Amino acid sequence: MVQDAREAATAPGRRSAAARVGRPSPGWAVPGVLFFAVFAVVPMVYAVYLSFCGNWGGLGTPQFSGLSNWTRLFQDSDVRQATVTTVVLTVLSWAFQTPVALLLGVWAAGRERNRAVLSAVFFIPLVLSTTAIALLFKAILDPNFGLATTIGPWIGFPDGNIIGSPNGALIAVAFVGGWQFIPFHTLIYQGGARQIPEVLYQAASIDGCGRWRQFFHITLPQLRHTITTSSVLIIVGSLTSFETVFLLTQGGPGTSSTTLSYGMYREAFQGFDFGYASALGTALVVVSTLLSLLMVKFSGFGSMRSTREGM
Amino acid sequence: MSQYVKSLRMKANPLAGLGAGVWLVIVLVPLYILVTTSLRTQDEALGGNPLSWPRTLTLSNYKLVLDSGFWGFLVNNVLVTAFTVAVVVVLCVPVAYVVVRSAGRWADFAFRIFLLGLAIPAPVTIVPLYVIIGKMGLYDSLPAIILPTAAFAMPVTLLILVGSMRDISEELYEAMALDGAGQARILMQLVVPLSRSGLSTVAVFTALNAWNGFIFPLILTQSDNERVLTTGLYTLSSQYGVNIPATLAAVVLSGIPMFVAYLLARKALISGLMGVGGK
Amino acid sequence: MVGAVCLGLLTAACGSGSGSGSGSGGGTLTAYVYGDGAVKVQEAAVAEFNKTSKVKVKLVEVPGDSYQNKLNAVMGSPNAPDLLYNWGGGSIKSFVDAGELLDLTPYLTQDASFKSSFLPSVLAAGALGGKNYGIPMRGMQPVVLFYNKTLFAQNGLQAPTTWAALQTAITTLKAKNITPVALGGADAWTEQMWLEELLDRIAGPTVFQKIAAGDSSAWGDPAVLKAAQIAKQLIDDGAFGKTFTATSYTNNAAPTLLGTGKAAMQLMGTWDYSNQLANHKDFATKDEGWVNFPTVDGGTGDAADVVGNPTNYWSVNAHTKNKDAAIAFLKAMASSDYANKLVANGDVPATTSAKSLLGSSPNPAFAQFQYDMVQQAPSFQLSWDQALPATQATRMTTEIGKLFAGQVSPEQFVTDMKALK
Repeated sequence: MVQDAREAATAPGRRSAAARVGRPSPGWAVPGVLFFAVFAVVPMVYAVYLSFCGNWGGLGTPQFSGLSNWTRLFQDSDVRQATVTTVVLTVLSWAFQTPVALLLGVWAAGRERNRAVLSAVFFIPLVLSTTAIALLFKAILDPNFGLATTIGPWIGFPDGNIIGSPNGALIAVAFVGGWQFIPFHTLIYQGGARQIPEVLYQAASIDGCGRWRQFFHITLPQLRHTITTSSVLIIVGSLTSFETVFLLTQGGPGTSSTTLSYGMYREAFQGFDFGYASALGTALVVVSTLLSLLMVKFSGFGSMRSTREGM
Repeated sequence: MSQYVKSLRMKANPLAGLGAGVWLVIVLVPLYILVTTSLRTQDEALGGNPLSWPRTLTLSNYKLVLDSGFWGFLVNNVLVTAFTVAVVVVLCVPVAYVVVRSAGRWADFAFRIFLLGLAIPAPVTIVPLYVIIGKMGLYDSLPAIILPTAAFAMPVTLLILVGSMRDISEELYEAMALDGAGQARILMQLVVPLSRSGLSTVAVFTALNAWNGFIFPLILTQSDNERVLTTGLYTLSSQYGVNIPATLAAVVLSGIPMFVAYLLARKALISGLMGVGGK
Repeated sequence: MVGAVCLGLLTAACGSGSGSGSGSGGGTLTAYVYGDGAVKVQEAAVAEFNKTSKVKVKLVEVPGDSYQNKLNAVMGSPNAPDLLYNWGGGSIKSFVDAGELLDLTPYLTQDASFKSSFLPSVLAAGALGGKNYGIPMRGMQPVVLFYNKTLFAQNGLQAPTTWAALQTAITTLKAKNITPVALGGADAWTEQMWLEELLDRIAGPTVFQKIAAGDSSAWGDPAVLKAAQIAKQLIDDGAFGKTFTATSYTNNAAPTLLGTGKAAMQLMGTWDYSNQLANHKDFATKDEGWVNFPTVDGGTGDAADVVGNPTNYWSVNAHTKNKDAAIAFLKAMASSDYANKLVANGDVPATTSAKSLLGSSPNPAFAQFQYDMVQQAPSFQLSWDQALPATQATRMTTEIGKLFAGQVSPEQFVTDMKALK
């Protein structure tokens, strides 16, 4: 994805054209590059370095300890479990958010008045922060004093113990994430659907295609790039999701909803083992980068826009 | 758009309408609980059904929150958001311009580094940032939040800005150059005005992220004076404990500024967010 | 961090205003202290000290539960404080290992009256490797089994002073749809209290002493397995109800269950009494009873042993420029004047002088019970997560959480604990 963007940005045609007008000095980019280097690149490199250091909690200087954190990482059953949890949560999030946002987005792309009104309501969760939403659902799902005592029995949790049961906790985290982010992805799909040339649908109508066939033969293929964009956002977001877990379940019960990034937080800021936490963090970067690249490759999506998704 | 053939897409779709209705309920029920519970007394909230209408409406929860330092959190949040957006825009516009217009190897290299930054999730760097910010003497200050937040907004910003600057046609540059304009004037009078839509997307997206950021303020600040809305909300909710109405009043209050912004600038917000998904 | 969290609960509004650490130069001693409601006692002591001393103490109050974070960040830096509030044990182990703390043993040996002003079990709990690094400066916080006297009486139950009485209470209350024991299992340290008590009653304090000394294999002691099995049995018997894994102590949910009669017992630090007084006054004054943890059948531990947080300590930075002034300030902690201030604040000081002062406590009966309990205790075991270094403590509480959530069997729990580093 990096390669594609670079080529696109410096396409030969532009290069010669720019030459005639004159080029801005590369020096203009220096402040921005330096700033980014100090607050993003250096920390990343430092994280990799720390992952090769022994148990260090910020006191004195970190001591190089070779691969000890990494060998431990691969033997740690808690890390294995957190990896599975993270993957399950990611899949759940994707499987929940994508269909809902896609259908809502396509529906909202129509220009009826009631759709516009409903879309405005759908947008409301976006004005709340992740923190606010997590606290709201913590109150709703409280097993002793919340709505969970009422709705729990309807959905298979007779004691209302939704966030206190291993599966319930994960489902709750995925649901809350969906409640928060589906509006955003709906907007993306709505924007994508409006780009689809009207003439395609008109032609299909004339050919006698029904609504379903139009959806599967026009809408979905035309939205392919939007689906990739939205999916990569969901996947990278869920892989590193921290706040909802931190605020809603604290990784519990036990470690049932402990994701890699929450596990990293605990190792770092409760256990003060910055070395091991950095190893966890580095592993997470590698996994999320590989996954995004794979997704982009797999979907055969290689235009300039593809570079927009990895964030 | 074609006016004469009305496609199926324009017709009512009862099934999809039903689905949208279901989602409407899923969106509204928690919001209903949020607002009504924040108006309940604590005793009622501990015992009653959260779906019922409150027996007695009270604003005391809101008063409690407003008396617990809420205004300070709000001011800090506004400062953090404004400075983050300013830093990002001021630093990224020249970089994007160089990337688009200068074909040198360095510009190329810099852009590549930024793109790699897309793959770095912010939470992962929190440990080294905690150490670095501490060494810089910035721990527990607003800049400790602003600087990393801005840095992690730069890759997306650059992509969006580069995308919209590339759409500016070569003829316009040539016209400016014929007028004898220097690079600085070209940037300010041609490139910036013509990348308005990109800039507004960037501003909206960066502002939203800065406004809602949690992990940087959580780890990089600790005192009451440096709390922003998210960490303030978290602290208040731990203080209130089972006083759920007070926590939810704080949640409502924390959402009001963004809600007002949404009412005032709905179009800009929505097109800004849509812009993130590509035009 | 049990202590930090619990202290935070005592006061709804945390104190504000932390200055920037100005370093140890000149004629000031910077003192970092946890900024909760009890800090006013330290403020008064500092004001008193500064009246006569040339070297002034400057109190930096760090509010919230990030005290340990901030301390870790600042120790070893040029801004390190001269005096630091801590929980003893693991909370200062890394500082001791790095040579950052002053060994206070000589000062205590030189001045016999200074040493004898503190309860020996509490002073010992602030020591590491036989050396004293901390001087007690706040109230004692032993763990107590609270129960609802009225509910017990209504159901014909005896106070839970024996295992049999506890078992009967659990069965009877469960049948009445009352949660026998409130447990804030979303915070694993509340579950840890049960294991601490059980292990002590089964085999006495020596097993954990070995563990705290760095011998992880001591987790393999059969007593640990037995403690885990009993805990598991309690969970399976429904002693903690069905929602304890999502019930938190820190958000006051578990205390509310006890205070509103939805649950009948809670094993908790003594700070919870003031919590109940604040939120459920009727319950605290009329219905609430307290006992030390019951004996366990076949156990060899002394029923008078106590676990919990002995107190908080002042430690001194080894690099301070004003060592003499710092020691002079520490000696003020032994004065009956300071103890009086603590008592008036509702605390029970760890000083020998406290006994005669407790009559003026806001809750004399409970204060007296606490004092006697600690004074008679052959051993006062510091909370496990405070006794171990933070890294190990975090992983240990994770394992405890897994045991109580049913993710691991008691046998697996022991295996995992032995591997703890």
